[in-house]
Amino acid sequence: MVDPLSGGPPAGLPELRARQASLHLAQLPAVPTGDPGWILVEEGFTLAREHEVESLFAIGNGYAGSRGSLAEGSALSAPATFVAGVFDSKPGSAPELAPTADWTHLSTTIDGQPLRLDRGHNLEHRRILDMRQGILWREWRHQDEAGRITQLRALRLVSLADHHLLVQCVTIMPENFSGRLFIDATMTGPVVQVTGSGTTVAMAVARRVMDHAERWTPSTELVEGRQSLELRLGKTYRLDRIVALHTSRDTREPRETAGKHVERAIDDVAGVIAEHSDSWQARWEASDLRIEGDPTAQRALRFAIYHLLSAVNPQDDRVSIGARGLSGTAYKGHVFWDTDIFMLPFFILTYPEAARALVMYRYHTLAAARAKAARLGYRGAFYAWESADSGEDVTPPFVVAPDGQVVQILTGEQEQHISADVAFGVWNYWQATGDDHFLVEAGTEILIETARFWASRAEREEDGRYHIRGVIGPDEYHETVDDNAYTNGMAQWNLEVAAETTNLVAERWPGPWQALSHRLGIEPEEPHRWQQVARDFYTGFDEQTGLFEQFRGYFGLEDIDLAAFVPRTAPMDVLLSRERIQRSKIIKQPDVVMLVYLLWERMPPEVRKANFEYYEPRCGHGSSLSPAIHALVAARLGDTALAERYFRQAAEIDLADSMGNAVGGIHAGALGGLWQAAVLGFAGLRFCGEKPEHRANLPPSWCSLSMRFQWRGQWHELTLPEGAERRKAEEDP
Amino acid sequence: MSEPIILVPLDGSKQALAALPVAKVLGEIERAALHILHVGEHELAGDELRSRLGREASVLDGFTIDARVGTPAVEILQVAGEIKPRMIVMCKHSGAERGKMLGRTAMKVLHDAPCPVVLVPPERGATPWHLHHVLVPHDGTPSTSAALQPAAELAERGRAELLVVHVTDIRAAPAEPGSLTTPRYVDQPQHEWPAWTSEFINRLACVCPLGHLHVRIVLAHGDTAAEVLRLCKRQSTDLIVLAWRKIWEAPHAATLKDILREAHCPIMVVRT
Repeated sequence: MVDPLSGGPPAGLPELRARQASLHLAQLPAVPTGDPGWILVEEGFTLAREHEVESLFAIGNGYAGSRGSLAEGSALSAPATFVAGVFDSKPGSAPELAPTADWTHLSTTIDGQPLRLDRGHNLEHRRILDMRQGILWREWRHQDEAGRITQLRALRLVSLADHHLLVQCVTIMPENFSGRLFIDATMTGPVVQVTGSGTTVAMAVARRVMDHAERWTPSTELVEGRQSLELRLGKTYRLDRIVALHTSRDTREPRETAGKHVERAIDDVAGVIAEHSDSWQARWEASDLRIEGDPTAQRALRFAIYHLLSAVNPQDDRVSIGARGLSGTAYKGHVFWDTDIFMLPFFILTYPEAARALVMYRYHTLAAARAKAARLGYRGAFYAWESADSGEDVTPPFVVAPDGQVVQILTGEQEQHISADVAFGVWNYWQATGDDHFLVEAGTEILIETARFWASRAEREEDGRYHIRGVIGPDEYHETVDDNAYTNGMAQWNLEVAAETTNLVAERWPGPWQALSHRLGIEPEEPHRWQQVARDFYTGFDEQTGLFEQFRGYFGLEDIDLAAFVPRTAPMDVLLSRERIQRSKIIKQPDVVMLVYLLWERMPPEVRKANFEYYEPRCGHGSSLSPAIHALVAARLGDTALAERYFRQAAEIDLADSMGNAVGGIHAGALGGLWQAAVLGFAGLRFCGEKPEHRANLPPSWCSLSMRFQWRGQWHELTLPEGAERRKAEEDP
Repeated sequence: MSEPIILVPLDGSKQALAALPVAKVLGEIERAALHILHVGEHELAGDELRSRLGREASVLDGFTIDARVGTPAVEILQVAGEIKPRMIVMCKHSGAERGKMLGRTAMKVLHDAPCPVVLVPPERGATPWHLHHVLVPHDGTPSTSAALQPAAELAERGRAELLVVHVTDIRAAPAEPGSLTTPRYVDQPQHEWPAWTSEFINRLACVCPLGHLHVRIVLAHGDTAAEVLRLCKRQSTDLIVLAWRKIWEAPHAATLKDILREAHCPIMVVRT
């Protein structure tokens, strides 16, 4: 059932606010969500897991993101806060997200004894990621060597309502003693810093401390964030800290702006938290995906949505989402095709304003893509495989692998499908939103320039067909291949859609089209040539078998039975060596299957099935992007059991990470893929014509799936299976 | 604090003297005194031991020899309990036990020693020894990291390089919380491998302080012992350090046994 709704998302969830209203002043000014479907809990403390926990429990609002590090630190703590678009560049190395000062640092001593997890006994310790409210909670009961028991509770958030505010509140209660508490809440690192790329980042901090008589000691009376207090048995003491964060990217005077901002905020900490919580509530009402009957899948999907929402900022269209969002240093904050192909569909359907910012990032980096194409002797736009703030390609040229081999990295030059991926995201955005202004002002230009790239990149050969040689497809195990099916197929699509779009824009918006075609120097016959090239493209499709050959010569490679390596904990290229894997049919991630998925409506059903059945057993899933797409396609093909197995594998990439995959940040692309597997796979949501349709294949354990999505400006509600909500209401007493 | 001691049991055979060059260098690095121990069936004066060793006896010049009567392993462990040595350095087996992976005495000492045991292949003879490269196989668990602390300290004091070899067990990851093994997904190797290497070192360092030690991580797969022996040869390893969970019976300790059987360099065994 796909029901159009008359207005925006409805309001809800008043119970938390009611509980918060009854809180005592000395308590934390909010309460955690109790529903296990909304929280992630880390009980106890395992030092070696700390980097993973910091990533999974990261908080963010798309403007800034902060890892869930312990405030007092540990031997393995790596606290970091990042601001989207703020990169540090050092000569000779790729730009990377610049960490700010650690605003969360807080060390406390009781009668001279530091309160730390590695000292004394931890009677209780848990961290709770409250995904519904976007708050990181901590609950800790600690007994020191002298037997003193201290109870500590804390919350931390990066405001979704006011992107520049970061909030931390801590309460301390001596359970069985009176003594002297010393708090050091100074930030570690400079509060004003200028990055290597010239951006000024300024943080201003305000703190206040409440004593046993509920008197506040304001920031001005704290000596550089340090405070000494006499603790009384059973009394609760509270520290509030608010940080305002501004950069020269958003204001000319970041230091002054931050100072004024924080002064206003410190007087109403509860109000700042309530507004933040309300913003998350509104976000969830638009973006939540409810699964009845499978709490594990429910939590995994909420985790995916939480981190995607934490990473996006609709107010800044000059930044995009890096492979690890703002949750860690891995991948340096670089943006890949992950954003356009794996994350964007979630935003397009549930948060179109954010999706617009992401596609506009590609528009703002078009100049760099043009420069890259020109440098390599092509026309149009060849987007960066890895990009940061400027859009220049910042792919590292080599890596020393842990077996000591120096491996040349060819993706920056050869993974050219990125240009078609960007175009695909642009087209999907416009199709789903009907944002004509975007299409006319930005989207068409991207489609034209990427089509131009393909028209100049493909070469007509003796067989009369256009070929692209020397590329890497999504399957990165095979490098410098000719006629990669995905690259050629997407290039062909890009050329056709660009031609179609120019015709459409010329017809519907002749004025802007004239200006654009003049500015870009488009000859009247150019779109026609794109169509010709598209028509004569070599695709590697075999009519007899219905198979696409992944690249020239693929079918002649060694067939290795992956079933012989089950169970397996390492990627196949590590086990077999790069050289051996390149001589084999084992692929890293869906390539032809990816093409089948993206161009689903163009593929006859038997072709979809034949290619999935051929390539799926040959996929080694060496990429975190792989399992979700297999889940999605298997679900669409009706193999629900296989789809469910892949879905669970995808869901575990971060959440079941006991092996360190997430230490450098969560896998934002895989999380976007997981959402797609549920919505575009199991729910079978499709947009073939003028209105959304669905062909569901839900896993047997999923009693129902329900969600909202926006299609061409109107909110719709999808509830599966049909009538599930009604049946549930009838069954409930 | 009293001077550290390295216990060096000698059985009076010339083969056993192979432990001495290794013990001497380790003694210099650790600033430890060597405590030479001979256990025999009858009481034996230092001069009598010298006379049994003939020309090789000169290597004992300057050392005090502690001679005891009884079962060798029992006495060695008794002395170890008394003097609390930093480590025991001994030959893998006596001449009579040639071809065996471990002699009876070495086996018993290895099993019950209160400190790390360095086992020296007798075929080293009197060849001078140095410590430049220490090789450590590591399964990625925190308990192995903790067990390796004496080896890390030794390598740092000796200014040797620590080569940590992580051999992937492709079938099952370690169940111990906080374990780090080969990443299941390597999305982009140019980012993934430096991050993984850094994390491996960080996790090692947080339970086994590395100080200024030069550490290299090498990832391998296949049979752990075969990989260690291969790398040992390729990297000119001077000392292999093995963490052992103190279970000898098969199928346990397979790696330890293979390396004890095949390695040509001394092996330090530390217990987890």
